[in-house]
Amino acid sequence: MKTLIATLLIVWALILNDADGQQRRQGYTMAERVQQLTDMANKRAVLRFNANKFRDFVKASPRNYSIVIMFTAMAPQRQCQVCRHASDEFTIVANSYRYSQSYSNKLFFAVVDFDEGSDVFQMLRLNTAPVFIHFAPKGKLKNADTMDIQRIGFAAETIAKWIAERTDIQIRVFRPPNYSGTFALVILFSIVAGFLYLRRNNLEFLYNKTMWGVGSLFFCFAMTSGQMWNHIRGPPFIHKNQNGQIAYIHGSSQGQFVFETYIIMILNAAIVLGMILMTEAARGKADPKKRKIMAGVGLVLVCVFFSLLLSVFRTKTQGYPYSFLLK
Amino acid sequence: MVQAGSKKSAISKINSKTGISSLIIFVVLLLAWIAGFSSRLFAVIRFESIIHEFDPWFNYRATAYMVKNGFYNFLNWFDERAWYPLGRIVGGTVYPGLMLTSGSIHYILHLLHINVHIRDICVFLAPVFSGLTAISTYFLTKELWSAGAGLFAACFIAIVPGYISRSVAGSYDNEGIAIFALQFTYFLWIKSVKTGSVFWAVAASLSYFYMVSAWGGYVFIINLIPLHVFVLLLMGRFSNRLFTSYTTFYILGLILSMQIPFVGFQPIRTSEHMAASGVFALMFAVGFLKYLQTMMSKSEFKSLVIFGGFVSAGIVFSTVVILTYAGYVAPWSGRFYSLWDTGYAKIHIPIIASVSEHQPTTWFSFFFDLHVLIATFPAGLWYTIKNINDERVFVVLYALSAVYFAGVMVRLMLTLTPVVCILSGIAFSGLLELVLREDDNVRSEDSEEEEQSTPNKRLYDKLPKEAKTKSKSGKSVGKASAPQVAGRVPKIKHEPSKESDGIGPNIRSAVTVVILLLLMLFAVHCTWVTSNAYSSPSIVLASYGSDGSRQILDDFREAYFWLSQNTADDARVMSWWDYGYQIAGMANRTTLVDNNTWNNSHIALVGKAMSSNESAAYEIMTALDVDYVLVIFGGVIGYSGDDINKFLWMVRIAEGEHPKDIRESDYFTEQGEFRIDEEGSPTLLNCLMYKLCYYRFGELKLDYRTPAGFDRTRNAVIGNKDFQLTYLEEAYTTEHWLVRVYRVKKPDEFNRPRIPVANRIIKSPSFVSKKSTKRKKGTIKNKPVVVKGKRLSTKQ
Repeated sequence: MKTLIATLLIVWALILNDADGQQRRQGYTMAERVQQLTDMANKRAVLRFNANKFRDFVKASPRNYSIVIMFTAMAPQRQCQVCRHASDEFTIVANSYRYSQSYSNKLFFAVVDFDEGSDVFQMLRLNTAPVFIHFAPKGKLKNADTMDIQRIGFAAETIAKWIAERTDIQIRVFRPPNYSGTFALVILFSIVAGFLYLRRNNLEFLYNKTMWGVGSLFFCFAMTSGQMWNHIRGPPFIHKNQNGQIAYIHGSSQGQFVFETYIIMILNAAIVLGMILMTEAARGKADPKKRKIMAGVGLVLVCVFFSLLLSVFRTKTQGYPYSFLLK
Repeated sequence: MVQAGSKKSAISKINSKTGISSLIIFVVLLLAWIAGFSSRLFAVIRFESIIHEFDPWFNYRATAYMVKNGFYNFLNWFDERAWYPLGRIVGGTVYPGLMLTSGSIHYILHLLHINVHIRDICVFLAPVFSGLTAISTYFLTKELWSAGAGLFAACFIAIVPGYISRSVAGSYDNEGIAIFALQFTYFLWIKSVKTGSVFWAVAASLSYFYMVSAWGGYVFIINLIPLHVFVLLLMGRFSNRLFTSYTTFYILGLILSMQIPFVGFQPIRTSEHMAASGVFALMFAVGFLKYLQTMMSKSEFKSLVIFGGFVSAGIVFSTVVILTYAGYVAPWSGRFYSLWDTGYAKIHIPIIASVSEHQPTTWFSFFFDLHVLIATFPAGLWYTIKNINDERVFVVLYALSAVYFAGVMVRLMLTLTPVVCILSGIAFSGLLELVLREDDNVRSEDSEEEEQSTPNKRLYDKLPKEAKTKSKSGKSVGKASAPQVAGRVPKIKHEPSKESDGIGPNIRSAVTVVILLLLMLFAVHCTWVTSNAYSSPSIVLASYGSDGSRQILDDFREAYFWLSQNTADDARVMSWWDYGYQIAGMANRTTLVDNNTWNNSHIALVGKAMSSNESAAYEIMTALDVDYVLVIFGGVIGYSGDDINKFLWMVRIAEGEHPKDIRESDYFTEQGEFRIDEEGSPTLLNCLMYKLCYYRFGELKLDYRTPAGFDRTRNAVIGNKDFQLTYLEEAYTTEHWLVRVYRVKKPDEFNRPRIPVANRIIKSPSFVSKKSTKRKKGTIKNKPVVVKGKRLSTKQ
């Protein structure tokens, strides 16, 4: 988890710090504050706080509401990529809360940008971004009020869980449905449909068994080589140990690397190709010489690649006694 | 199977051929059955005739109950010994097919005065059914391709580890009989599609009924068959045969499946079953259109199809959506949903994600379970697609869907295995049929055509040039390998005469040798895997010394036997849910949670008790009336499947229901590691599970190289060594410390703070000990007085 380490920010802050925030109005009453916050929250789920507002709404007491604030640095010149992701996730949580049934004026979401409220950063002695802090209605800031994004990350679900721990308000994260996937699917379908329509007089290719066969075989290879495992578990591509040696094959039977699965896919495909070549050679009507070559190639493919497959398997199994051609 | 040949002279020849071929088929299938049966007996020979693992113990208990109390009592059985204090309605929450099968075998055997104990029937049921699976696979493959391929497939499935893993002797589980039912249903379905006869369709639905009664995996059938029909419709292969067989099958299957109490109204009320009814409606729509076609002009018909198609599709779709929305049709259940959205279970249903067999599958598992078949079945798939016809569409769809599901979940490897065997059988037999063909002296006689007027006009069946083939069958057992003639032989009209000088004898024999080597490797691999990986009963463990000597660790049964002998009959035992069935089955004691994980919050409560500290856990335990707590601890012998290794799942599941009290992050160190040594998090070191596992472990020095309290499973010295238990006391620990049982103290037993005598409400009688320091030894009342020189007599 890369967080923007902004040690320079402090210096920056000292320069930028102006007297703007010093002029402090006498605080509102609590009811007024809640009213204002609710009004603001009705307009947008994540409130934008500058130093003044921070003082008015967060530092002021008494309060009967919690505020979860994301401290961030979104300005382009800060070049904080992580902040953008964090902000997206935070907005998702805030919106889920805003439109959920448990919405009340007990909890507000706010964001303080470094460039708008640098003295807040100073006040809280923050020198990184993004930081999520929960300000409880009562009591001082505890350690647990700062979300440990180094360890648990800042996915919307974890933020919601953390908020639930701190405030007892359960937020069911509702991600706005990702229309890009649907959109791509629709486009794909319409392209296919359009293509079919254009070629409506010549749909012979749909009956092309080779095409379907290759497609199905590829699907089988993808599945049997564990691509689904890769998709779910997200293993590394290859593994590099301390000595700089690269391991292509995962040592234990429980895991695998992405590259390893590609190797397996190729091995499987080669064996299948060998089988098909042999069968075609035995069946075919072409001239005998060609068929002999085909059969020979198929035989070699099957032997070599199956023994390779077996030896890869052997390296991952302890005490596996059998091998074929290769150790 | 003699197809009326057009030439009379051929008949006698065919007859003799048929005789030999059916003899061979019979012998090979018998040998496959024997081989399959005997390779499943490792566990029985090494250990004893015993029920394995977890779920089989429940099935066994239920079967024993049914045999004892009769079927109707079984259906009405309310088990108050499970899920205390909730209880469980067993009759309505099990698939009774398994119990009925073994119960009826027991009944028949006893009618014949063969007095077999029901346990032995349960133990050997799965191996026996594996033979039936092999036979039904043979028939299925024969319908799909040829008899030779069928024999290959039967031999493959008899010994393939992917199926053995669920059907070794003692593994008395639904899958053992369900795979047979699955294959047999598919065979009957294919048969009915080919013939279009109501008879086969009815047979298919009866077999489907058996499948529904046996295993929840019937959903696979009721989605795959409609998918088959749907794809056939898309391919423009609608026929009256298909219409007859599907409509018969669907209606009968629907009504029959609803007779199972556990299934009930699900077939018409859940989304998993909606595809079948949608296809049913579609079938009628297409049938109607076909009828209209006969009385309309072409252009009229075209517009009608387009218009009617869209309208009817829209109506069906919106009906389903509306019904789902209105709550008449339940949406996809989590278990099925997690098959499509693979990340779903991990986030929402930790209890599903926690089961190791619900994990995705690595390529290693595929190869481990299927060996050479995994690398060759795509070749069979290739040829099936190349020579597609109505029924082969089915096997293609079966293969593609099963391979997807097997990729998502290790457990569904079981459904992939049969189709892989079928397709590999096709691949191998396709190759060997050609390679082993004797050169062409017989060819000229065999050139008669297959009769084209057979009722099922099969369009693409011209592939197998199996005029006279030798098929090395039964290779897996290393036994039968004899020339064999396929029964029904479609022939190619004109064989080129230069066929004989094909690829030459050398390459032929090389190919044969290599294929035989591969198959031999497959056979030894299967035996090795079965012996090493799948034949452990897991309630009896074995460890091997350096000299190869074997030591049996029978701790589980020791502990369960102790429980059954030393605790009150209604004692309630708390353990993690994995062990619930075993405690109920072997110790016959009441459990709080068990492997039927139907009530997540109850499990979470137990998880919470295990992961809280002692006093908080005591509150939960008293609320649940717990008398004993049982934990599995592998630190002494290095058993990795123990409760500490499962502990994080307990925490996660508890956190799901009680997020305020239990937090997973508390159980990790600052660096986010799960450690049990001194650097481990204090919450972990003080939680109930930790204390129960490591109570007095700090005093134990296992060998002279390691310090005291060294946990062999996790290779660390435990962090919290000296502690006393306040609310529990150790009741029993087995020989290798594998199972530890603790008794929960009653409120009056543990060390309450002492109330000064003056404040006591109930005054104890004033009693002053008269013992001086000298006489503190104590006395025994009525102690016999021993007088020297006199014999001690009971009468004093």
